[in-house]
Amino acid sequence: MYEAAHARPDGESTVARLALTAAEQGYEGLVVRNHGDAEAGYDPDAIGERYGIDVVDGVEVRAGDRSRLAGLIGSHRERRTVVCVHGGPHNRLVCEDERVDVLAHPMRDGDVNHVLVRAARENGVRVEFDFGRVLRTVGGERVQALRGLRKLRELVGKYEAPYVVSADATDHLQLRAPRELLAVGESIGFDREAVRAGLAEWGRIAERNRERRADSFIEPGVRRGRYEEVDR
Amino acid sequence: MKHLPKHLRPRWRYLGVGIESWPDADVDRAAFQRDLWYAAGNLLGDPGSADVDLTVYGFRFEDGRGDAVVRVRRREVERGRAALACLSEVGGAPVRVTVRGTAGTVRACEERYIRRPPEPTDERTVAFEDADRDAVVRGSRADVRVDGGFAGATDYDFE
Repeated sequence: MYEAAHARPDGESTVARLALTAAEQGYEGLVVRNHGDAEAGYDPDAIGERYGIDVVDGVEVRAGDRSRLAGLIGSHRERRTVVCVHGGPHNRLVCEDERVDVLAHPMRDGDVNHVLVRAARENGVRVEFDFGRVLRTVGGERVQALRGLRKLRELVGKYEAPYVVSADATDHLQLRAPRELLAVGESIGFDREAVRAGLAEWGRIAERNRERRADSFIEPGVRRGRYEEVDR
Repeated sequence: MKHLPKHLRPRWRYLGVGIESWPDADVDRAAFQRDLWYAAGNLLGDPGSADVDLTVYGFRFEDGRGDAVVRVRRREVERGRAALACLSEVGGAPVRVTVRGTAGTVRACEERYIRRPPEPTDERTVAFEDADRDAVVRGSRADVRVDGGFAGATDYDFE
C-alpha cells in the first residue's frame, strides 16, 4: 500500500522524514505530491533506498485559471511519475484530461456529479477520497467532509470509477498507518477492502507510469524488443 | 459493590500506543484522556464511545515522544483504532498516535510494546536549508527549529 503526502516547503517535514515514518507504518511506497508552486528538491531513489520504501516523484498541479492549468498539466506530465491535480472549481476539466492520474480532494472546494465521474472513468482519472479532513477537523467542517465522501462514494460505486485513498498529510505527524485508515474508513461507511484497494492504487499508477516512461515503451502492449537493432 | 463473577466481567484488550509530537509539546495524561474521549465521541457518537471505552492506563510523555496503554472492549479494537487515528491534537499540540499492538493484559501490553528504553534526546546545531539551526535529535530523526515552529527532518537532510 502507498500513501501520498506533501513535503517541505509545501508541508512541515522533509521527504526523508515522511519516508522514514511511512516505512515504519508499513507502507510500501510514498508519493510526494507537493503543489506545483512549492516543489521539494530531493532524490527519490536515494531516500527510497535508505529507508526501504518506494519514493515516487509526484506533483499536485494547482492553478487559478483553466488555460494555465492545462498548460501546467502538460509540462508536469513530461517530468513527473504521478500527476495529481488540485480539485476544486476545475474538476470537470481535470476529469476530461487523460494526462491526469489523480483528481485530488474533488469535494473540498468543488463538487462532482455523474457526468464528471463518468468522464473520470473513461479517461482513467482516479478520484481521491481525501480522509484528511475526517482525521483532522471537527464539527461542521468534518460533517461537510463526510457528506462529500459519501456522495463521492456513491457515484464512484455506481459508475465503477477508479479511485485512490489518502490522508493527505502535510507533515509526518499527520501520516496514519494503513490499518488505521482501514479502521477509520470502516467507521465512516467504507468497505475495508475498498480502502485497501484505494491505497494500493497509488502503487499501480506509479508502476504503470514508470513502465510508460521507460525507453523501451512505444504504446500499451508494444515495446521495443531486443531484436530491433539487428532488424534494421 | 461486590465485583462481578469472572465469567460476567467485561473482556478487555489493551492497545500499546506510541505518541509523537513536536519537542515543545506539553501533553499530560489528563489532556490525552480528555481529547481521546472527545475524538471517540465525535467519530463514534456517545453510544459508540461508551462501547469502546478507551481508558488510558499507562502514560509517559517527554520531549515530544511518549507512549500509553489504552483499554478497549474486546470486540471493539478496530473502532478504538479508528478513534485513536482521529486524535490529531492534544491540548492544541499536533500529535501522531500509532497503535503498536494489542494485548490481553496491561502487563503483556507494557512488556511487549511499551517497556523499551526511550531513545536518548540530544540538542545540537545542524545545517538545514542553508542555515545553522537548533535541532532536537533522536536517533536518525531530528526536529529542526525554523521560523515559527519546527520542521521534521532526518540525518539524511544534513548530509
